[in-house]
Amino acid sequence: MSDRANGDHKVNWTEREDVKGVLFVLPALLLLIAVLGFPAVGAVLQSFNLLWTDKPSFTFAAYRQLVDDPAFARAAWNTLLFVIATVSFHLLIGLLVAMLLNLEVRLKWLFRVIALLPWTVPDVFAGLVWRFMVDPLAGFINSVLITFAGQTEPVDWLGTSTLAFGCLILAEGWRAYPFIMLILLAGLQAIPPQQYEAAQLDGATAWQSFRFVTLPNLKTMFVIAAVLDTIWECRLFGMVFSLTGGGPGDATQVLSLLTYRQNFEFFNPAYSAAIAVALAAAMLALSVPYLRLTMKQTV
Amino acid sequence: MSNRSRVLHLLSALVLGLVTLAGPASAQVTLVYSDWQLAENVWNRSLREAFAEFEKANPDIKIKYEPVALGQRDTRYSTALRAGKGPDVFALDANPIKQYIKEGWVMDLTPFIAKEGGQQYLADWYPSLLGPVTEGGKVYGLPKNVSPIMLTYNKELLTAAGIAAPPKTWAEFREAAKKMTKATKDGGPVDQWGTLLVLAPAGFDLRFSVVLRGFGGDFLSPDNTKSLLDSPEAKAAFNYVIEMIQNDRSLPPGVSQIDAQGGRTLVANRKVAMAFEGLFTVPIIADINPQLDAWKVLEMAPVPQNPGSEKQIRSTYYMKSIFMNSKSEHPEQAWKLIKFMMEKKQMEKWFVDNNLLSGRKSVNDTFKPILENKFTNAARPEIERAAFLPQIPKWPEIMETVRQALQAAIAKSKTPEQALADAHKAVEAILARP
Repeated sequence: MSDRANGDHKVNWTEREDVKGVLFVLPALLLLIAVLGFPAVGAVLQSFNLLWTDKPSFTFAAYRQLVDDPAFARAAWNTLLFVIATVSFHLLIGLLVAMLLNLEVRLKWLFRVIALLPWTVPDVFAGLVWRFMVDPLAGFINSVLITFAGQTEPVDWLGTSTLAFGCLILAEGWRAYPFIMLILLAGLQAIPPQQYEAAQLDGATAWQSFRFVTLPNLKTMFVIAAVLDTIWECRLFGMVFSLTGGGPGDATQVLSLLTYRQNFEFFNPAYSAAIAVALAAAMLALSVPYLRLTMKQTV
Repeated sequence: MSNRSRVLHLLSALVLGLVTLAGPASAQVTLVYSDWQLAENVWNRSLREAFAEFEKANPDIKIKYEPVALGQRDTRYSTALRAGKGPDVFALDANPIKQYIKEGWVMDLTPFIAKEGGQQYLADWYPSLLGPVTEGGKVYGLPKNVSPIMLTYNKELLTAAGIAAPPKTWAEFREAAKKMTKATKDGGPVDQWGTLLVLAPAGFDLRFSVVLRGFGGDFLSPDNTKSLLDSPEAKAAFNYVIEMIQNDRSLPPGVSQIDAQGGRTLVANRKVAMAFEGLFTVPIIADINPQLDAWKVLEMAPVPQNPGSEKQIRSTYYMKSIFMNSKSEHPEQAWKLIKFMMEKKQMEKWFVDNNLLSGRKSVNDTFKPILENKFTNAARPEIERAAFLPQIPKWPEIMETVRQALQAAIAKSKTPEQALADAHKAVEAILARP
């Protein structure tokens, strides 16, 4: 009698389902390690002064500096404010535009393309365009204010802390809202029309339909969009660099810009790496709700 | 010999011949030269003309140009040099030199200089200019050009405002700036300003430093170990700039975002009457707006000072030096190029094209066009009244700290006193770090 017939057939390891799974994901895993893993480990080693230095020696000095450095505290605070404001802006405008694009209207495809356009503009270029627009001497916005709104002298948009911060939020809000809009639009399209029909039969108003049908159905999408956008905006560099350069003073200096400056302008690679590691740790913590949600859905 | 053997011999000879012919071409070395001035019209033209001459004289060396924007220079170089790559020969201003030496990114040129005669070869350079490129007795670069920062003004605008001579004191300067700030069209908005100060990163160091030094202050103590930003002179200079911007409004709106090139564009278009610039600015402004007739209309004078402090340092050196990558695979050829750039003839050409004084005394003292030039005649005495910005690796961070503090005070997010006190404290902390 054969082993198979006996039921004690030993499965070849290449036929095992779990091994197959590992083999399938292995190329992607190796690529991730190469692209993300090595730089991440490199950054950690660099932050302890063990890499890319003429005299490697293990030290916590860069992390101690994080605690003492007012520039880091200010940049962390700026990053927090900027991310809260920008992500809120994106969620609000993204939802509004997604709902408009979800309506049955003629040329819907054209409106969708137009709504997506800002997302196609590279952030550095978008920052430069906004910078020209708000320029006190040659900017379009000041020209309009002086010509049509009775403004007697140009507004120094980027020379005033609050205005510069506002410009940054507006510019990034405009440029990156389509990402949120697309996620929410996908969520809106997945809501079964029967739910709206049932609400209508129950005599629900438009607001009540939105409040009790649309919003609960979009809850998961909101969380996913908010977490992904928060991570994205925490890392934002190009827009800040090209629009305000972190100024006036350090009013718009965010952590990514400080990381860049410490590494490339001030030649402090260890401290720069420590800032990057701190930022990465914060983002890792932020990604927990996203992971929990997506893993719950796939299990 | 059979026909077959003959053919084989013929083919072998042909191959050998081709290899011999190809020999010199394959021995040609390509040197990568990088310079922020390759990204500027006037300077780029001049450099390429000079290098064409070098290539003609050295057919075995080809130069590959690598332009880089001044603001991106250190980002690009530090990334490449850390990885053991980067240009063979490159230019730096005085600010980051010590850091480049500390990181081991630049070649010790002392052995090459020794072959040219050592101290005898170097004797023609101003000793003060060799300071920043020298560390521990080793010379890491050679200064090509120098200029003190000068008060640069549009004589026509001063005359039109009834100002007969350039201001000599800060009080006179402030009054002149106020007088020349006006609307050039009746009933129109203000479109001409008395002066400007570069407050964006590119160019801040050279301009604000002359105001600080003109008031008798400085950033750091002479031994670079203490911040001097809490001195009465520093406070006076800081307040002076802020009052001119906030109260007099004699600087253009949006001055916080104006960089060196933006400032020169405003001067070229008659929007600004006075600025603090180096000798290099004249051909650039002439190139931006040929109708201005910059060579005729612009004039230069010493940086203003308060009465009684005329003997003190009042200006800052701009200096461009040439360096060799410590990892260059062609050090002999790279040195050949550096030596060529330092030749008197090339220094003279650089003056004719770019209006910049040489790092070599003999060029400045004997070249007739330099001796007859109104700008250099004003600037040469100022070489002794100028100083370098602090030559320490931490300087770029200190400079940015001061710039941010000044901007914060101008933006009114801090009082001038608070901004300066914070900057002083931050600079002390930077200096205290190992």
